[in-house]
Amino acid sequence: MQRDVGSLPLSPALRARLLAAGFQTAQELLETGPCGLSKEIGISREEALEALQVVRQECAGDAAKTAGGSGSTRKCTALELLEEEQTQGFIITFCSALDNILGGGVQLTKITEICGAPGVGKTQLCMQLAVDVQIPECFGGVAGEAVFIDTEGSFMVDRAADIATACVRHCQLIAEAHQEEDHLQALETFSLESILSHIYYFRCRDYIELLAQVYLLPDFLSEHSKVRLVVIDGIAFPFRHDFEDLSLRTRLLNGLAQQLIIIANDHKSAVVLTNQMTTRFGQNQSMLVPALGESWGHAATVRLIFHWDNTQRLATLYKSPSQKESTIPYNITDKGDQNHSWYSRDLQIPALTSGLPRCAASTCHPKCRRY
Amino acid sequence: MATKKLRRAKLSQELCERLSRYQITTCQDFLCLSLLELMKVTGESYRNVQKLLRKVSLACAPKMQTAYEMKVRRSINPSAAFLPTSLHSLDKVLHGGIPCGSLTELTSPPGCGKTQFCITMSVLATLPVSMGGLDGAVIYIDTESAFSAERLIEIAGNRFPTYFDSDEKLFCMTRSIHLYRELTCDSVLKRIKSLEEEIISKKIKLIIIDSVASVVRKEFDTKLQGNLAERSNFLARGASLLKYVAEEFSIPVILTNQITTSLSNGLAIPADLVSPAHDLSLSEVTGASGSGKKESACVTAALGNTWSHSVNTRLILQYHDLLTRQIVIAKSPVAPFSTFFYTVEKSGLVLQVIHS
Repeated sequence: MQRDVGSLPLSPALRARLLAAGFQTAQELLETGPCGLSKEIGISREEALEALQVVRQECAGDAAKTAGGSGSTRKCTALELLEEEQTQGFIITFCSALDNILGGGVQLTKITEICGAPGVGKTQLCMQLAVDVQIPECFGGVAGEAVFIDTEGSFMVDRAADIATACVRHCQLIAEAHQEEDHLQALETFSLESILSHIYYFRCRDYIELLAQVYLLPDFLSEHSKVRLVVIDGIAFPFRHDFEDLSLRTRLLNGLAQQLIIIANDHKSAVVLTNQMTTRFGQNQSMLVPALGESWGHAATVRLIFHWDNTQRLATLYKSPSQKESTIPYNITDKGDQNHSWYSRDLQIPALTSGLPRCAASTCHPKCRRY
Repeated sequence: MATKKLRRAKLSQELCERLSRYQITTCQDFLCLSLLELMKVTGESYRNVQKLLRKVSLACAPKMQTAYEMKVRRSINPSAAFLPTSLHSLDKVLHGGIPCGSLTELTSPPGCGKTQFCITMSVLATLPVSMGGLDGAVIYIDTESAFSAERLIEIAGNRFPTYFDSDEKLFCMTRSIHLYRELTCDSVLKRIKSLEEEIISKKIKLIIIDSVASVVRKEFDTKLQGNLAERSNFLARGASLLKYVAEEFSIPVILTNQITTSLSNGLAIPADLVSPAHDLSLSEVTGASGSGKKESACVTAALGNTWSHSVNTRLILQYHDLLTRQIVIAKSPVAPFSTFFYTVEKSGLVLQVIHS
């Protein structure tokens, strides 16, 4: 009630007039009433009424906050948070080593960033997560839906369908092994068609479309309250060209990160971003670092870096508030990321030495089996 | 669309006029401002500004589709999803062939057969759908002046002798391949920008750029300061334009690239140099530090890291022995790592089975 007039969310012109007329607190405004206000300041009665309604709403919101109301506040004790975290689900990746280093899987209400060189499997993991988030609760999933925002155009429906089919088959195997009633019931609604219909796909061509989409995301998530995962595949791509003003880029990225944190918290969903790697030239070496600069590194809560070691793919948990840094090997099969598997991909090609051509196949696994 | 004027975003006339006084005329300008700045320029309250933001976002944001709708759309028109390369094993692994609607890159050392492959694909695209083609015209942007019309006819005649049995058919095919010789980066970019209109007017079904690397590496010397950023900028802009065109018209785009052996660009990452304790960096090996226990000089595709992110599929051609070469699927969202052997014959590329 004693709130200063200058801090109220009214239009700047109106605020300037109120201050010029000598109003100092919100209480004074409410006491004057719309007719008195309109006469004193020289605005119409409707405008005065609108202004008073805004003030009233603001004060009601303030009062709720100071009284410790539960709804809009974000204040709680660490014990409540612990209970919440323990009951919270994780989105599993079906790669047990990856799930282990993440502490169970991709966490809800947090932003996870996946960085990696091209071709290392970031989009594959995103597609896998979009399928895994829909696993019914009786199988250990969170039974949610997924929003997939694609900026690079690398989402392949056929591949997503393959992963979904494999996931359904996996759950069917579990159900057959355990023979429980709720398993079979859940399987009835868990099919390829339902999985694909619950992946909401947006294709953003430039950073403006991305910004616009993220502004509209809260409304979309309120309508589709079962969404538990938001994937932005390629947050770096639209921001890496056509930007002469780097400070604008930093500002927009920070704003984006803030909005994503709010979305993750308010809607209890996980946000997964994929980032590119860029070459940074050091003194006599060049290094691959995640793109978008140092300040972007603060945006994500958990950071995974995917890289190669000769022919083995490795995932390093670089940043996490609760898990230890570690590196694990993983592979991609036709069923998606799996821990035990068949083939690996060779990204480097040995040089041509002394004019005689060499074959790359001799350095990769001689028994490259395909499932 | 970023350059959409605010008028078309259904904002009121006076608001648009007021904003134009601050030089805010497009959706891009509007969305780049923070909320407080927006309050200042529009003169509206906080809540109203949020409503305006939502309105402008609605005008720019993309349409939602579910993955299921996309799948259904694909299955209605399966032949339009891929362009078969007529190399059957390769097509099987790639789930059909060169994917439509995304960028495919072909990288190799000189002389392996990139241009041969491109010429073969041009022939294939003009074939009718019943034979696995796209029944359309081809735009071939040639930066190396390597395209040979005689070779085109030779490949067509030898690969599909039953179809191209008359001169008439051959001429019809050659008429639908539009060749553009561009020798500078600027002209290539201009040509890419003009693609949208050409595709509609000439019913183009395939775009080939042979090669991106030669024109870029000619003009940008990455050792000079500032050139690296400019080069990345050019490549990124070209890539996004091509992606837009590819997706909009659902056609395949094939680009060719070169191999570089430059030591500082090697992508080999030995495990012992990678440690989470290093801050945010994965060190690359430079040739000098190789102690002989492994091959220290590595070859990778040219044009850098950012370009590698922009292409969706990458095929690498390389030498196997004196006669045979091999084609490696290095990056693909649908196919695993695979290798195929081939030779270059009169009819273009022919797959071989090597018993090792």
